[in-house]
Amino acid sequence: MSAVLEQGVIDRSVAVPDTYYDKVVLRLVQFSIVWAIVAMGAGVYISAELLWPWLDFGQPWLSFGRLRPLHTNGVIFGFGVSALMATAFYSVQRTSHVSLFAPRLAWIVCYGWQLTVLLGGLSLLGGWTSSKEYAELEWPFDIAIALLWVSFGIVFFGTLARRRIRPIYISNWFYGGLIIVIAMLHIVNNLALPVTLDKSYSLYAGAQDAVVQWWYGHNAVGFLLTGGFLGMVYYFLPKQAGRPIWSYRLSIVAFWAFVYTYIWAGPHHLHYSAIPEWVQSLGMVMSIILLAPSWATLINGIMTVSGAWQKLRTDPALKFIVLALAFYGLATFEGPMMAIRSVNVVSHFTDWTIGHVHSGALGWNAMITYGTFYFLLPRMAGRALYSTSLANLHFWLALAGTMLYIMSMWAAGVSQGLLWLNLDETGELRFNFTDIMAGMAPYYGLRLLAGLIFLLGTCLMAWNLFMTIRGRDPVEVTAPDVDPLYEVKR
Amino acid sequence: MVLTLVSAAVVGWLIWSVYFSPTPHEPEEELNEPVWDGDMREGNAPAPMWWFWLILGATVFSVGYLMLYPGLGSFSGMLNWSQDARVSNAYEHYQNQFQPVREEILAASLEELQSSSERMNTASRLFARECAACHGRDAGGQLSMFPDLTDQEWQWGATAEQVEQTLRSGRRASMPAWSGVIEESQIEPLVDYVIAMDDSDAEQMPGRAVYMTYCVACHGAEGEGNAMFGAPSLQDDDWLYGGDRASVLTSIAAGRAGVMPAFDDRLNDAQIRLLVAWLTREQ
Amino acid sequence: MTGMSLHKKLEENTGLLIFGILVVSAIGGLVQILPVLNQESLETPTGSTEPYSAVALTGRDIYIREGCSVCHTQQVRPLIAEVERYGPYSRSGEFVYDRPFLWGSKRTGPDLHRLAGKYSDDWHRVHLLDPRSVIPESVMPAYPWLEDAPASEVGDIQKKMQVLQRLGHPYTQDQIEAAPQQLEGLTELDALVAYLQQLGSAVSREEAP
Repeated sequence: MSAVLEQGVIDRSVAVPDTYYDKVVLRLVQFSIVWAIVAMGAGVYISAELLWPWLDFGQPWLSFGRLRPLHTNGVIFGFGVSALMATAFYSVQRTSHVSLFAPRLAWIVCYGWQLTVLLGGLSLLGGWTSSKEYAELEWPFDIAIALLWVSFGIVFFGTLARRRIRPIYISNWFYGGLIIVIAMLHIVNNLALPVTLDKSYSLYAGAQDAVVQWWYGHNAVGFLLTGGFLGMVYYFLPKQAGRPIWSYRLSIVAFWAFVYTYIWAGPHHLHYSAIPEWVQSLGMVMSIILLAPSWATLINGIMTVSGAWQKLRTDPALKFIVLALAFYGLATFEGPMMAIRSVNVVSHFTDWTIGHVHSGALGWNAMITYGTFYFLLPRMAGRALYSTSLANLHFWLALAGTMLYIMSMWAAGVSQGLLWLNLDETGELRFNFTDIMAGMAPYYGLRLLAGLIFLLGTCLMAWNLFMTIRGRDPVEVTAPDVDPLYEVKR
Repeated sequence: MVLTLVSAAVVGWLIWSVYFSPTPHEPEEELNEPVWDGDMREGNAPAPMWWFWLILGATVFSVGYLMLYPGLGSFSGMLNWSQDARVSNAYEHYQNQFQPVREEILAASLEELQSSSERMNTASRLFARECAACHGRDAGGQLSMFPDLTDQEWQWGATAEQVEQTLRSGRRASMPAWSGVIEESQIEPLVDYVIAMDDSDAEQMPGRAVYMTYCVACHGAEGEGNAMFGAPSLQDDDWLYGGDRASVLTSIAAGRAGVMPAFDDRLNDAQIRLLVAWLTREQ
Repeated sequence: MTGMSLHKKLEENTGLLIFGILVVSAIGGLVQILPVLNQESLETPTGSTEPYSAVALTGRDIYIREGCSVCHTQQVRPLIAEVERYGPYSRSGEFVYDRPFLWGSKRTGPDLHRLAGKYSDDWHRVHLLDPRSVIPESVMPAYPWLEDAPASEVGDIQKKMQVLQRLGHPYTQDQIEAAPQQLEGLTELDALVAYLQQLGSAVSREEAP
């Protein structure tokens, strides 16, 4: 191919345009949906345990403390990362106009990842845990994750490096940020000295461990659940809306400000803790500045859709993507607010935090992923979505579930925060802990209902997409021509 | 510290890179912009100015905040704010603010406290917070392990002074395990005797002799008990660990070592006073 | 050079883009994390803080295994209401032997940092085996399996202590040698209760807040 180009012959039929490699994308999407159902199911189950604690039936592996990490890890690493890998592989080929680099390695990443998450999840149920949030998996899994992640990076950047169009499209910046920063965070935070296969002791102790952990924890949210999924937005939103990204320059500013600022914000998880005050303060101010880059992307997204609003009526994929942006805006506003010291006094340790996380995880991450899946599967199947009305029903279930979830947790969290701090006229605490906790039952009931509604929607999607793709291989797509002005000469 | 320099430089770079965004673009760029994947373009809309003000505002706020509060490395901020100082000031203020109420409580007699529904209300909330986990919300005891505080039986004494002592320093009961000390064959008769103790014909029972050898020192000749050792009365029908044969047998053979934690440094004097008043009130 | 032309270079070169992201994202970490890792006061024990005994360390590993930190914090904030409810607020020097830290992030149940001595051992046992037998409203899981499992089988205690020793915990050779003997005959429940009963005891309550 390159030989032909060097001769100056721009004959596309001779140049053999690349055919995109989408089989691994489809498989990752399938795994992602399976994990969504499993992990959200676990979430629903543990939320029921908070109402009826006997639901663990005296089994260690069904106990809340072991199931909860399975829920979070399953959602983040099973559902989230599989979706990110799928969409990254899909979009990087199309924005580079080449086929996937090292497809065999991509398959290793795909299955290796599923195996790691599966065995890792089982190990969590077995009580193997480092207890560091979202980094609970013990060291053998940490090593596997690191290796697979680097392989993911090789496939991604390898494809990017072979691209036939000179400028790197915006979505790839975000996917690149995801891969690089998560690798850095994962390795540094999980440094530990192993004792046995199932046990290790962290290299850091006490307050230092806390700072490192939340540097990781917050930025796992930042670069995985925000940055990675913004990559999805930058590809699938303009594609589905059929409009250019509104402002290229705003994207540049938003991206670099995002990469720079997010990483500082971790210590807002440790307000009024035993870490140095200056670290807390920096975490707080950077969290507030972070509102700007977060919302820059929001504006960019919304303005990209504007002009294509009429599509929202008929297009379930776009509906999900736009709603996801709305929740993204909400969560990225709420986050900086909760990072303010005086607000944090009330919100910290309460269900408000749980609500905030879910306005991000359900409203933003899950919705954008669902929108993307509704976009992907019909294209790969080469036929229309099995049922648009089912997808519309899913949309309303997802919206209702998320809203109910967030509102019940707001109510619960604000009550907890205020009642814990309440003193009476003799200076005594007005409420004892048990009463406040017992008073949360109605909110926990609503939350359970919300989770069930959301999970039901996810199951409908799984059925709908299964019927769409059933038995088909991904349609073969060849790369379109590149404007000679921007073509990479080899 | 390097921190100040680095962050200032990068924030400066940020503003600068934002600043170029409102510059007008060249027209020819628009015509020849790159197209990805057949139809994907990057739009040329200038970044909105209000967004620039947003980030500028946030930055100004941050700079201000970092001047006032600790944040820039070793610079402690112009307010000299620290968590330790903040809480110790607040705590002092809190203590001063409620000092009069507390003194009032300490000066009042138990009867006065007991007749004030407001005080008893506070006391019962205190009890729910600090004591209910063991003794139950209604103070009626739980699980044949944590004593009923509503009856007239007080293992460690029922006077206000004794109750206060129990609260402050805690109690550690030490009923020894007698198996191995008392001969196997003698334990059964002892159990029979202890259960039947308040019956009129108990004096004749064979267990009486065993009792008089081993138990009398603490529980007394008539089983009246001794609050000083926390040895409960055996005359009544009130059994903390259960009055059935099996429970009494376990108590004697394996011993009992109930522990009441000390609350001296968990509660202040006024709180202890309120609890004593609440616990010793007429019910 | 303008920002725009700088960016043109970055966005047309994969290697440069990777490098740029790496540098920009590393700054925050370098500025926040490195000084914290070098701050000696965060490594200096407060009060009578000592490395965990073999039994308490085993109990702590059970606490980790069962995910107690999912619902319980060990971090009393310097706020009046918290000092009143739980006791003196947490000091950094109390955690120097905590690998990993167990501060938690959610209080579904109460904070446990000042738990030492608040309840009797007996209470902890019945509460862990059946929480609702003493607190009817509780939603805490029951842990019946702790009662039968021997504490000596929660990993290799000597190896654990040696690893911690390598990480700087001042265990003596005698302590390590005596460790298995200390665990002999104890159940997991015993070890966990021993851990809970020493939580936060290094700071005297008289120094409150």
